[in-house]
Amino acid sequence: MKTARIALSIRAQLLLVLTVFLALPWLGVEYVRELERVLRDAQERTLAGTAQAVATALHDRPRLFAQPADPIASFARERVEDGSKGGTSLPPSASPEIAQIIEGLSRTTARIWVVDREGTVLARAGTLKPVPEEPPRGSWWQRLGHATVGRLYALVLEQPTDDFLDDAATQGAPRGRDVEGALAGILTTERRPTSDGRVTVVSAAHPIWVGDQVRGVVIAEETGNAVLAERNRAFERLFNIVLAVLLIGSLALTGYATWLSSRIRRLRDDAERAIDEQGRVRAPLASSGAGDEIGDLSRSFSSVLGRLSDYASYQEKMASRLSHELRTPVAVVRSSLDNLAASSLPDDARVYMTRAQEGLARLTQILTRMTEAARLEQGLSDVETERFDLVPVVAGCVGGYRLAYPEAAVAFDAPDTPLLIRGAPDLIAQMLDKLVANAVEFAAGAPIEVRLTRDRDSAQLTVANEGPPLPEGMRDQLFESMVSVRAAGGTTTPHLGLGLYIVRVIAQFHGGAVRAENRDGGSGVVVTVTLPLASVI
Amino acid sequence: MRRIAIVEDEPAIRANYAEALRRHGYEVATYANRPDALAAFRTRLPDLALVDIGLGDDMDGGFALTRELRAMSATVPILFLSARDSDFDIVAGLRLGADDYLTKDVSLPHLAARIAALFRRSELLAAPPASDDIVERGALGLDVKRLTAHWNGQRVDLTLTEFWMVHALARHPGHVKDRDALMRDASIVVDDSTITSHVKRIRRKFIALDPGFDRIATVYGMGYRWGE
Repeated sequence: MKTARIALSIRAQLLLVLTVFLALPWLGVEYVRELERVLRDAQERTLAGTAQAVATALHDRPRLFAQPADPIASFARERVEDGSKGGTSLPPSASPEIAQIIEGLSRTTARIWVVDREGTVLARAGTLKPVPEEPPRGSWWQRLGHATVGRLYALVLEQPTDDFLDDAATQGAPRGRDVEGALAGILTTERRPTSDGRVTVVSAAHPIWVGDQVRGVVIAEETGNAVLAERNRAFERLFNIVLAVLLIGSLALTGYATWLSSRIRRLRDDAERAIDEQGRVRAPLASSGAGDEIGDLSRSFSSVLGRLSDYASYQEKMASRLSHELRTPVAVVRSSLDNLAASSLPDDARVYMTRAQEGLARLTQILTRMTEAARLEQGLSDVETERFDLVPVVAGCVGGYRLAYPEAAVAFDAPDTPLLIRGAPDLIAQMLDKLVANAVEFAAGAPIEVRLTRDRDSAQLTVANEGPPLPEGMRDQLFESMVSVRAAGGTTTPHLGLGLYIVRVIAQFHGGAVRAENRDGGSGVVVTVTLPLASVI
Repeated sequence: MRRIAIVEDEPAIRANYAEALRRHGYEVATYANRPDALAAFRTRLPDLALVDIGLGDDMDGGFALTRELRAMSATVPILFLSARDSDFDIVAGLRLGADDYLTKDVSLPHLAARIAALFRRSELLAAPPASDDIVERGALGLDVKRLTAHWNGQRVDLTLTEFWMVHALARHPGHVKDRDALMRDASIVVDDSTITSHVKRIRRKFIALDPGFDRIATVYGMGYRWGE
């Protein structure tokens, strides 16, 4: 059972492994969140400290809270303009003394309110909206970074903004839980969004004690912008590093994987090149000197190919060695018979003499054919190829067959245009000899057709006869060495099943192929040799 | 009496050949291996040597022996006789200075005829040519008595087999000689592809003298033809 597999290159696999590093940003997010929590706590503590410090300055000074309060409404109306201007100029304060005390705090990023128990604003300093500074112009790549990655971050991260609705500027002093808590005598911090929800305001309220009475509350307020900005900066820095590491890491890994897979590919190509289409070892593989596993693989490939080549050459030599071994005893028999023939023999012995000579002739023919295929294959390596027209070569051969096989009618059909192929005409003639000899024998007197046609960029040479059809299942093996479909016995010439094998070897030498089919409908076999045409230069 | 040395490791073949050649009136000395043969040659050179390539365990002993014999004498005819019939062996043997190469398929009458021809050639090389023994075909001259070939007056160094093949082709210019006819004329028994390589070698020898040589035409499916 073969299961479908997803083909992944080594490069893709390594990149897949690299996705593990995507956990890095997650860790970064966790870290930044923790940082943000710490910063917020610190901010709250700082605000509480500020409120406490201011309150400390106002403790036990009942005189400050003795004046009648201004109506809040009039103040609140004026605040609208003030808030929009973002200035630090204070409205006519309800309590100039307190205003004087907290005057010095107006430069901080926090806003300080001092209110009495009724919520009347006694004094106020600072603003939630600091004067915007001109952002420093960084180097070009920083600006480029801001324009690209920075924009991306802006999409994901909450950005600090000064464009928000300052509730207190329109509604007067805040009166949240923190103020309630402070009125109850406890330092309380609170975090609340503005009414338009664009920023979070952190506020701390500290009671002002006169004796054991809470006479007023100091409220210190600040937006979460500073923390947000700090968090974003940390986040961006972290992400820039992670991105850079990921980028460099994946580049390095991709490069490494490319190098690795190119070595493996080269090894594969070498291994494929080392063996030709017929499965013979063309050239030994140069073994790599690399000390790693791929080097090992290359070395073992090389040794396997070496052994394969040894075995193949042993096999190739087999037939010629066998024929060589047999030739010597045949020569003994032949020379003995010749000597015998030279001496005076009784007439009845002459008959046996003739039979022995005939048998010997057949034996010799077998030996010659046995080496023919091996010698052809050996010789192919130094065959000089040329560009030639197939038509006259085949036509000439057919002329020869008409003389050689007068009993068989050989029909011939070829196009008028030349069919140029690259190869050796001698070999083509040898191939056709085998095909026609086969066809003549199977046709048993019936006509044979030799046909040349052009099929796009290849030439097709077909030899058809009207003999018995091929047995099913033999068609593919027909062109193997030592395969014959002839019935045993009955023929006088020996058959080793090398004829069609030679046809295949020659066809493949010319970059072509050969196949055999039964004729449609009736009896007969068509052998088709396809030869690629030489490219017109 | 002419003396023939047979160097052959197979005793039965050695004896059969010796007997057959003795019947033809030659004096025959037989040797089973290279050292024996070499020792005998040092004492007395044979008039013709019949050498097997493989001598027992000495795979290429015949080649080595030919080299040594050729070094002793440039003229003694050497005839290779081997079970091997690969082109490589034929070329290697002829390059070492053998005069001809026969496979062991050869029949004894053929062998005797070939030996007689070799003797004739070595004998007559010195004698003046008789005009009736010369076949002239344009630039080609064939001395049938001496079994030598000339092209534009230059000697073409053909083996006996090659000479008879050229002779068969050139005797009837324009006629196609099929492979069987060539084999018959050159009295060799080989398969088609060996004829092809013989023809190739002949062409090469002529082309070495005359790069424009194109007289031997292949007629595909039929054989070869001498063109005028």
